[in-house]
Amino acid sequence: MGKKKFIDKKKAATFQLFARDSSDPNYSNAPGSDKVFVRVDNNPVSFNTVFDEENHYYGDTQYNDEEDSRFADAPDDDGETDDEYNRVSGNPSGAAIYEKGALPENVRREILELGFPDDGYNYLNHLREIRNTGGGSAFYPNPKFKPDQLPHDVKAYDASRVHISESKGDYNEKSIYNVASKTVNARMQKVVDPEVAVLLDDSDLSRFGSDVEDLEEDFVVRANTAEAEDDENDKNNKKLNLVEEPEVSNKGVKDVSDQEFARELKNHVVDEKPRLRRLLDEQFDILQLLEYGSDDDQYEGYMVEEEEFLADKLKNVLNENDMDELEHDDKYRAPADVLHGSERPKSKELQDSAADVLRRCAEYAEKYENECEDEKVVIVEESSDESEKFDCESIISTYSTLDNHPGKIEAPEVARKKKLAETVSGALSAKNKVISLRGKEKLPVDFLPNSRKTTTEKVKSAGSCKPEQLNRKPHGQETKEEKKERKVAVKAERREARMMKKAMKELYCSETQQALKVAAIAGPSSIRLM
Amino acid sequence: MASATATYAPMKPTKAGFEETHEQIHKIRITLTSKNVKNLEKVCKDLIQGAKTREIKVKGPARMPTKVLRITTRKAPCGEGTNTYDRFELRIHKRLIDLYSTAEVVKQVTSITVEPGVHVEVTIADV
Repeated sequence: MGKKKFIDKKKAATFQLFARDSSDPNYSNAPGSDKVFVRVDNNPVSFNTVFDEENHYYGDTQYNDEEDSRFADAPDDDGETDDEYNRVSGNPSGAAIYEKGALPENVRREILELGFPDDGYNYLNHLREIRNTGGGSAFYPNPKFKPDQLPHDVKAYDASRVHISESKGDYNEKSIYNVASKTVNARMQKVVDPEVAVLLDDSDLSRFGSDVEDLEEDFVVRANTAEAEDDENDKNNKKLNLVEEPEVSNKGVKDVSDQEFARELKNHVVDEKPRLRRLLDEQFDILQLLEYGSDDDQYEGYMVEEEEFLADKLKNVLNENDMDELEHDDKYRAPADVLHGSERPKSKELQDSAADVLRRCAEYAEKYENECEDEKVVIVEESSDESEKFDCESIISTYSTLDNHPGKIEAPEVARKKKLAETVSGALSAKNKVISLRGKEKLPVDFLPNSRKTTTEKVKSAGSCKPEQLNRKPHGQETKEEKKERKVAVKAERREARMMKKAMKELYCSETQQALKVAAIAGPSSIRLM
Repeated sequence: MASATATYAPMKPTKAGFEETHEQIHKIRITLTSKNVKNLEKVCKDLIQGAKTREIKVKGPARMPTKVLRITTRKAPCGEGTNTYDRFELRIHKRLIDLYSTAEVVKQVTSITVEPGVHVEVTIADV
């Protein structure tokens, strides 16, 4: 409240101390220059401080630039005096405030490289970095892109290995195909020589123009008469006119006689060397034979199928019809007749053909069946040993779990009998002749398979109870100790009884359940079990 | 005599700014923050020592109240068990040192080895 601030942060420049990057030229290990002050605020205040070294010009010139570039032509106003005060006075650090308007050299170079004019404007501001984040088109630089390759509509093939046979005038139109067939389909790069390209360039259509002045006056007549003699020759000539000069070609025609020429043509055609048979061709033929068989076989097989279906159809047809229809009325009716309702075939030929077809039917069907018989009948027999032997798994699996509950399947108990023998012997040797039934279930405790100790103890306790009972003094005449002893004895007895009961219960829980079950089923319902 | 003494009254050592007109005196506030008190106090001590040797007017170190950032989380990664909590805290200590001097001097003063973990911020304003 009313305390004057030492520093008004909004009018102050704030610097933070950071560790200097070791790749910085000013870096050194001395405590003075391994750290650098970096300005962190954006207040329009500038100080002539040594705090900003490299950032010095940045902070100021940015401000200056703005001022200059946008408001350079603004009229001076009084605010300028304040600006002056704040502006850098002098440049102790010598950092460059470069001239107004000139771009740094490297920027200029870059602009020029890109093809922009060098007019002092920084076109680099308008360049967009090519990244794949742009919407719509995505530029992916193709690593295989070679910009100086052939355009795609030009196809060049390697004809260096072509042997062009010498010919007396290239009149065979097929010769060009011969040549083409001998070329190797190797795409060549950079084949189109610029000079050649120029020559091929037919923009001036010079070759199409005919030297009319060289022709004689009656060239048409001459041409027509020549046509009458040999059409072919003329055709060739006409074609060749495109390539050679008309004068030359006409002469050529005139000179050579028709016969010779025709022969030459034939020779040219015959002279074609038959294509050399390669290993691949032979392989192909073999493969063809294997896969598809010979023509005859294929056809026959197909026929057999067809006839087979026909035979089946016929059979089925017979089955479908009623028995009555089958009665022939003393007239033999062929299956075909039955099908078509005894329609007579129109002509004899049809009849014959039908008969023939049927005959062939039968033949093929027979053949097919016979073929099948030849096949080996493979009968797979199960090995009898394995199937006849029973193993426990199979036995158990054949029984239902109602009878054989998995929890109840257990090895026969031998120990049980032993125990029983023990207990029986123990019990028999006991003093008491009375078999006492104890517990809820009224079981003969002494005879149960228990450890002999407990049985003997039981016997003892049973025996020991009595003398105590006998020693009981009449009421009111016991001493304190005697009373205590009595009570203790009673308690011990009860404890024993409890333990016995628990042991018994645990031992025979299953037995009791069974007994209850049986009683529930068999016994009268009036008896309460639990 | 009195006047003489008055005349020759010992003048306070003039502030650097008064004598050296080409270097302006600034108000400089150095803010030191750290999680580590020991390092922070050491840096403070060094700074103040440095300033005093150069005979600059120094005020400080002013100790700001420590900011304690607390995070209280359950210890258990699952929800089972007695609900025990961990109390984590981060203490930030802040010291302020005010100086009246030129920037050059301050640069020298702060060119001491700064302990790791101590963050230094310098604010300069004109007097």
